[in-house]
Amino acid sequence: MAKDVTQKVSNHIGGKDLITVGIYTVIYIVIIGIFGALSFIPIFIPLTAVFCPLIGGIPFMLYVTKAKKFGMTTIMGTLIGVLMFVMGMGYWVAITGLVFGLIADLVLKSGKYQSAKRTILACGFFSMWEFGNLMPFFVGREAYLAQLQEGYGAEYVSTVSSYMPMWILPILLIATFIFGLLGGLIGKAICKKHFKRAGIA
Amino acid sequence: MRREFLSSEQQKKGIHFDPRTKLLLILIISVFVLGGAGGNAMYFLRPVLSLVPFAMLISVGRGFHAALYIIAYTVCYVAQLILLPILTGFTNFLVLILAGTFCRFLPGFIIAYFVVTTTTVSEFMAGMERMHMPSKITIPLSVVFRFAPTVLEEAASINDAMKMRGIRFGGKKSSKILEYRLIPMITCSVKIGEELSAAALTRGLGAPLKRTNICEIGFHFPDVIIFILCGVTVAWAIFSAFSI
Repeated sequence: MAKDVTQKVSNHIGGKDLITVGIYTVIYIVIIGIFGALSFIPIFIPLTAVFCPLIGGIPFMLYVTKAKKFGMTTIMGTLIGVLMFVMGMGYWVAITGLVFGLIADLVLKSGKYQSAKRTILACGFFSMWEFGNLMPFFVGREAYLAQLQEGYGAEYVSTVSSYMPMWILPILLIATFIFGLLGGLIGKAICKKHFKRAGIA
Repeated sequence: MRREFLSSEQQKKGIHFDPRTKLLLILIISVFVLGGAGGNAMYFLRPVLSLVPFAMLISVGRGFHAALYIIAYTVCYVAQLILLPILTGFTNFLVLILAGTFCRFLPGFIIAYFVVTTTTVSEFMAGMERMHMPSKITIPLSVVFRFAPTVLEEAASINDAMKMRGIRFGGKKSSKILEYRLIPMITCSVKIGEELSAAALTRGLGAPLKRTNICEIGFHFPDVIIFILCGVTVAWAIFSAFSI
């Protein structure tokens, strides 16, 4: 019996961990979705790189108090990416979800899933999956804009492309990271203020 | 009654589709209709693909929903064709958002609705297992489907409660929206999630054995039709991409 208990604490991802991943993925996507839904208004498209990491930090920081095994954050990133892809955000987000989930996981592992600084850093990296949603504006831009024009008309496309010029790409990439870090700090504070008290962190 | 995504009871009437066929349909529709891949070449195939959810709803005997869907889609499609070129400014923007968004999102939404209401969790898992998907992906994914309605329900209840306290946009305490709505939602969801996880473990989810399944899944004639349609769509997209 004692042996079983020690095995549970080991690095093997069990059924309980997989359920945890599923649960936090839902919470994360619902929260992101509240702001993501605004993005059909052109000005909110670049701003998703600010708001989504900021808000996403709250569920993520709570999530990392549960995810103490290597692979869990990678699975969460992949799932978010795949679900976003099915929701029509383009295939890039499936790739960025996997890649930045893995990077965040490695950062967490390097801090042995304990270090507070590494968790916030991981939150910054994890938030960069959001960039995949904006990727179609930069890779294959002409085709994507033409396709938007077909659905939404020329006026909409000219507004959108004025908000999303090519030079904004590195700014958005850095913004997702910086605001991811800020989101991590906010998430950490909220964990301390609310979730610890409620006994769930 | 509780809202459910992946239903726990098996569908009784109508044509049965294999869960893998349904997943393929979701993928194809989300790529070509929702994601708009293929550009102008898909101009004629897109409405055809949009008819598929209609046919699927008919096939399980949901004529009323099917009729609602086809009317809504046709209105939006026609509005997009006729109204958009003649309107400008704000009305254009309004029509565009309503018609354009509906035309893109409705087929995907309806097919997703169809799939999640006619597939049981067991069927989903059985289909995934046949495709040799690792359980590290399928278990969280089925939790997502099972858990999403719960979270949305909680969010709606908390929304109502906070409205009563005047915490809303334009209200007295609009600055507290985020804290007062997100935090209870997360806390509630996590608590429910813990119970869900305990229930699933009691039923042997964490067991180190290969899970068995009594669901009979397999490809039949209706599946073949869907496969041909999807094949034609992909082939046409590839063909037109190369011919330009």
